Amino acid sequence: MLNYEMVLSRDSYLLGIELRIFWSIAFLYALSAILFLFHALARSQPSGRAARFIMTVAASIHVGLIVLRTFEAGRAPFQTLYESLSWFACSAALTYLFVSTRWKTVYLPGLFVSALSAGASFYALFGRSPAVEPLSAPLQSYWFEWHVILAFFSYAVFVVSAAVEASYLIIRPLVKRGTAGGLGLSVDALEGFHKSAFSLAAFGFPFLTFAIFSGAAWANEAWGRYWSWDPKETWSLITWTVFTLYLHSKAIPAFRDAPASVFNILGFVCMMMTFLGVNWLAKLLGIPSMHVYAV
Amino acid sequence: MKRDSVLRLLYGKLASIKTSVYILSVMAFFFMAGTIFPQGEKLEDYIKAGGKFVAFVKLFGLLDFFSSPLFLIAAFVLFLNLAVCTYERFFAIRSPRRYPKEFTPTHGITLTQDEAEAVTETRRVLRDELGFRLVSKDNEWIVMEKGLPYRWLTWLYHAGIIVCVIGVMLTFLLAYEDTVTLAPGKAVAVEPEAQGRLSSLAGKKGPSGFKIKVLEFLTEYAEAPELDYPEGGLSRLAIGLGWQKPRYMMKGDSLFATDWKARILVEEGGRAVKEKLVEINDPLKYGGYTFYLLDFDQVFKVRVENNPILLEAKNNEEMLVPGLGFPIRFSIFRTGKLKKLDGSIEEIRGHTNIKYAGEGQDKDEDLGRIETGESVYINGRRLTLVDVVESPIMSYRYDPGMHLLWWGGILVLVTMSLRFFGSWHMAAYRIGSTGGIARLDVRMDSKGLFADPEKTAKRLEHYLTQNDIRPTPLQEE
Repeated sequence: MLNYEMVLSRDSYLLGIELRIFWSIAFLYALSAILFLFHALARSQPSGRAARFIMTVAASIHVGLIVLRTFEAGRAPFQTLYESLSWFACSAALTYLFVSTRWKTVYLPGLFVSALSAGASFYALFGRSPAVEPLSAPLQSYWFEWHVILAFFSYAVFVVSAAVEASYLIIRPLVKRGTAGGLGLSVDALEGFHKSAFSLAAFGFPFLTFAIFSGAAWANEAWGRYWSWDPKETWSLITWTVFTLYLHSKAIPAFRDAPASVFNILGFVCMMMTFLGVNWLAKLLGIPSMHVYAV
Repeated sequence: MKRDSVLRLLYGKLASIKTSVYILSVMAFFFMAGTIFPQGEKLEDYIKAGGKFVAFVKLFGLLDFFSSPLFLIAAFVLFLNLAVCTYERFFAIRSPRRYPKEFTPTHGITLTQDEAEAVTETRRVLRDELGFRLVSKDNEWIVMEKGLPYRWLTWLYHAGIIVCVIGVMLTFLLAYEDTVTLAPGKAVAVEPEAQGRLSSLAGKKGPSGFKIKVLEFLTEYAEAPELDYPEGGLSRLAIGLGWQKPRYMMKGDSLFATDWKARILVEEGGRAVKEKLVEINDPLKYGGYTFYLLDFDQVFKVRVENNPILLEAKNNEEMLVPGLGFPIRFSIFRTGKLKKLDGSIEEIRGHTNIKYAGEGQDKDEDLGRIETGESVYINGRRLTLVDVVESPIMSYRYDPGMHLLWWGGILVLVTMSLRFFGSWHMAAYRIGSTGGIARLDVRMDSKGLFADPEKTAKRLEHYLTQNDIRPTPLQEE
């Protein structure tokens, strides 16, 4: 039988290791973002390749870190905002790395994703407590894993979709002017690249729908109401509505180009509001929310 | 005549996808407005809290925005738009499809067969090898397709959303909820005071006629050590660099409530009809109602000195003890099972902490720990904790729209997943011959994220040319 001192020093030791690894990962994401930026400014393909390699290393270690946290906590690692930010940073990076195998010479989306992963990681490390908490009663549900995994999967895909969309908006005028050398896109490949932003959003949309329904089913079991117009619920509905707008606008010739791109990026902004902004909004305006992260 | 044309114009607008984009934009804006203003707050409280948009808030009902006429009208227009579009698309999909006389080919394959043989072989390969079915052969271009019926799937998930909205409407109009506090061993009749919006208008009462009783109430705790972690960013960075170490430690009351459960008995006509251990995420369903474990009340019964009259107070409520000179309060009474840090489980000796409830620096100061039947001296007065009565608070809800919403939701999720992740292919082709050489022109189209028309075209070419005699290089002597 373990005594208290042993348990406490073991847990403290593990957390110390975890934090050191997480800090290293955050710095690797930041280094990757700097190299992606250098690629964008100097149009240097080697620095783009190096940035993606560093990001791959960071994301691979990050997967290991999440596995370590799962063992450490004895549950799925997304109860606290610290854990959710770590999960978000890792899933966005992995999704980008997977999608980038299709566009091997285009590194600009990596700048947005690595900056976001670095930002999320530093926010977790500087701003949140890494304490492992026991699972509170409302979270002890099979919906917990399903709801969060589906929501974060859709978030990761929307992040990469917005990154591709923003890259397209930056690269397109340069390609048209013939000054996009080094950015990895030709006139012929431009539309295919843009289409992948749509494909990603369309891929994430059913997952977001599933996340909203599973959240409603869970709320119905835990709180007795499937919908309470809580700020987090409402912002998830706003995100869903904006992505619905994006998908519909792609079917209307007049809205297919610039307005659709705006909707895609707006959808990403709304998604970030759902994930993080609601906490800030609830605190700023003093609006009660059942979803605000306590730790 | 004029009225007819206006109605037709309105109907045409409602059947347009462009209208959907405009209304969805308005709805997104309205949803945002609902998150900026505190929903359910009274106007007086909003003014007291320094609210700056009083006139707007009053005019548009922004403190109960999701039930306000403005929001409901917008939601109704969106519903009409969705219903009209779905209705129109139903007939459009059902009517026989008309294909263009000419297609722009995406692939061209030169064949070695003669034209007649190529016609038969192409049809055979598309049908038998690639799984296509014939849908049109009336024009020069023959059209075949395979895969999931994407038009119907698109229609079905829109229809599913209509079912969901009807479910939400039923909830909005008919659902109601109430709460009941269950004193131990006492059966309480389920007689809701609240009514749904529509039933209130009709003056009807919700269904009831049974009683519920709590048989036992259980709580579970876990020991949760606290983390000694610095607040400053630089100190946190120092931990990252290994210069400092985070440290878990046990503090005074490090118990974390992990679960609370109530065994509930339903009685109807004096007979027990159902028994269930209700906990958060596992409600009791009976008689059209769903009962949730919302919270629990604890009433502390305290004897002061030898006074036979007991003082009573709920947990964390102020108690004035004669002769004490300041108010006190009792923290949550801890009882039930405790999962200890070393993995063992033990029964907690029921206890509470008495706290100073006055104002000033000493507020919340711990004045002593006490178990049931024990006494403690505070300021020279003997306080004995005689009993603690725990009563679960159940919220119960009648919601006739919920099932419709779930069925609609399942329909939406299944058909949307099939539509987005499934695949559909169309191959429109014609075979021509110039100078005795047959040529196949194909237009490959597809729907679905995983559909790959290029791959299908390559497979078609492979099957059509696999038996061709290909020139082989002469061997060098």
